[in-house]
Amino acid sequence: MAVRERDPLTGYLTTGHEWDGIKELSTPIPHWWVSVFIASCVVAVIYMWLYPSFAITEGYFPGTLGWTSRGQLKEEVVDARAAQAQWRQRLMAVPLDQVEQNDDLRRFAVTGGRAIFNENCAPCHGVGAGGQIGQFPSLLDDDWIWGGTLADIAQTVQHGIRNDDADSRQSMMPTFGDMLSAREIDQVADYVLTLSKPADDTSRAAMPGAAIFAQNCVACHGATGDGNREMGAPRLNDGIWLYGGGKAAIVRQITHPRMGMMPAFGAKLGEEAVRMLAVYVHTLGGGER
Amino acid sequence: MTGPATLTAPRAARPVPRRGVPQAVQGRYRRIKTLLTVGLLALFFVTPWLRFDRGESLPGQAVLFDVAGRRMFAFALEFWPQDLPLAVGVLVLAACGLFYATTLAGRVWCGFACPQTVWSDLYFAVERWTERLTGRDSPLGRSVRSALWIAIAVVTGFGFTAYFVDVTTLPLRLVSGTAPLGAYVTVGLLTLTTWLLAAYARERVCLHMCPWPRFQAALLDRHSLVVTYQAWRGEPRGRKRVPLRPDLAAPSLEQLVNSATAEGTRGDCIDCTRCVTVCPTGVDIRDGLQMGCIGCGLCIDACDDVMTRIDRPAGLIRFDTESAEARRSFTPARITWLRPKAMLFATACLLALGGIGYGMSHLASVTIDIDPQRNPPFVRLTDGSVRNDYVFRLAHRRGHLPAVTLSVEGLPAATLRAGSQEGAGASTLTLPVDADRTAGDRLLITVPKGNVPSGRTPVTFVFTDPATGARIGTVDSYFWGPGA
Repeated sequence: MAVRERDPLTGYLTTGHEWDGIKELSTPIPHWWVSVFIASCVVAVIYMWLYPSFAITEGYFPGTLGWTSRGQLKEEVVDARAAQAQWRQRLMAVPLDQVEQNDDLRRFAVTGGRAIFNENCAPCHGVGAGGQIGQFPSLLDDDWIWGGTLADIAQTVQHGIRNDDADSRQSMMPTFGDMLSAREIDQVADYVLTLSKPADDTSRAAMPGAAIFAQNCVACHGATGDGNREMGAPRLNDGIWLYGGGKAAIVRQITHPRMGMMPAFGAKLGEEAVRMLAVYVHTLGGGER
Repeated sequence: MTGPATLTAPRAARPVPRRGVPQAVQGRYRRIKTLLTVGLLALFFVTPWLRFDRGESLPGQAVLFDVAGRRMFAFALEFWPQDLPLAVGVLVLAACGLFYATTLAGRVWCGFACPQTVWSDLYFAVERWTERLTGRDSPLGRSVRSALWIAIAVVTGFGFTAYFVDVTTLPLRLVSGTAPLGAYVTVGLLTLTTWLLAAYARERVCLHMCPWPRFQAALLDRHSLVVTYQAWRGEPRGRKRVPLRPDLAAPSLEQLVNSATAEGTRGDCIDCTRCVTVCPTGVDIRDGLQMGCIGCGLCIDACDDVMTRIDRPAGLIRFDTESAEARRSFTPARITWLRPKAMLFATACLLALGGIGYGMSHLASVTIDIDPQRNPPFVRLTDGSVRNDYVFRLAHRRGHLPAVTLSVEGLPAATLRAGSQEGAGASTLTLPVDADRTAGDRLLITVPKGNVPSGRTPVTFVFTDPATGARIGTVDSYFWGPGA
């Protein structure tokens, strides 16, 4: 039978078997390797017990720890919020108009505001906040429809424009296509076009559109076309046109006015986010004091 | 591990493989090695404790890798990630220096300066010390030895971590549990690897893990000094009482060097195996140059000692060229400096040094980024003026710069304003620089109606130090106006 003997050349034992005079050295797997292998198997079983590991007929075995990647994300979000908590508290502790005076606070608000802006505002106003002609106003320039101070911006973001929010900004431009003849609209459009041309300052009063403008438009847009932010009536004398500055575009706007609407973000994002957004938009370049 | 050492017929009377620690030895190379071990360990452990005053807002540790701040301090120098090409120069210099030293004098790096050698040597010393105190197999001695090994490993882990975290507060923070997680991981990892490599793996690192022995053969040539056994005077080996070969014993050696060896005599080697028992990697140098030899010279010390005792000239094992065997001389060869291979590596070292020097003298002390906001390219304002927006970032490593002044060239009547400011702006803009030596803001440049350029206009931003008026740096960019 099997007789294990020591090989004189290598010092190893043989397996003890012999096949046609050929013997085999016994070179087993090292003990440490076997130990590691067994330990790995044990760890694997424990892991399968603790964590979601295999599918069962309906659903999966959730593991005894109840771990999910969603749950982990939730915890991480809570942690991130806790890390930001002191900054958010400081942000809410000072009056809005003082946020920008503090460098650290401003940086926090601008950084956070940029992230919130890209997620919520950029779809309409653009990533660079440049707006879109004919659709959404630029937030970079100093031509504000509803006001460009921090408080104005915060109010607009919080409650929105022409929506269901009780405090949303509301106004409506009448449909002059029903009230004025095509000829009259043509004349007043010619007049409106001259408002942004200082060269026409003296000759403008004699235009046929002057009287029509005074009768229908001055109440909201002002005698010189300065607009009225209380009413959300845009300036007509600065050469910046939201819905286009050609005569055809102006005629179309008078006949069938388009008026932008904006959702109220206060309820969705919370007051801290509104503050951050307001500060971010305010520092883009057009902010007013 | 007991494995088949070799499948070829073993040499007769091969010494039994060493058990435990190599024996102690005294001599010239042991002294050099001890000095280097102490010096290198001191360098490693003391460096983080050196202080260097950089002012309030910067760390006061002379050598510090500030991982969070992505910068590295070395006394008066400060390095940023963009200086990484310098590290290439340092690595090239280190590699070529290693090649150069190996070409001249073999694996002196391995034998004297490699961390594996230095720490193993320290661990060997601890083991010899405890064995001397308590005897070889005393359980007490073994426990003391293991405790000391682990203590050294922990201190090493701490010493390494101290290069990355302020060393004066690190011990307290580590103990109180307030140190960053990375510090604990680093201490733990370095403790583990130090212990594994110096207490357990030891020469196995040199024999099986390290790639360096594998290609040292490409660097050695017949002029390189390596540890050699002078077989011409050592063989045949024999007991001390066997009479010496007549050609070696004769008074005029040179005359008799080539005469035939007489039967029943021996060479200078009395086969005491001292050279094997002191070898840190356990090789038998008498088998000739081999991969296991790290060139530490301890066998030379051991053999010289024996030769002195048996009243024979020292140098049976010595640093010599491989051609010494043919030369049959009692005087070892010297280092041959002037030969193409050595000079090639020396040149490479000089080139790398030159590159590092050039890089060091051209380190920018200020980096400024001007990032034009191109969405939209320009903004029309109500008064007809046109504005371009930029985001700028500045970081500097000058001593003191509380503020920086900006102006723009190439754009008449332009005004500058930061996003956090209101109003019309001015022709220059002064902005504060933070304590962490960075500044950044949204930069608004407005050109009044009459001066608005058409299309693209090249402009230059000029940054000056408001205190001295000296120019810090300029950045070229463009200003976009309406039209083509």
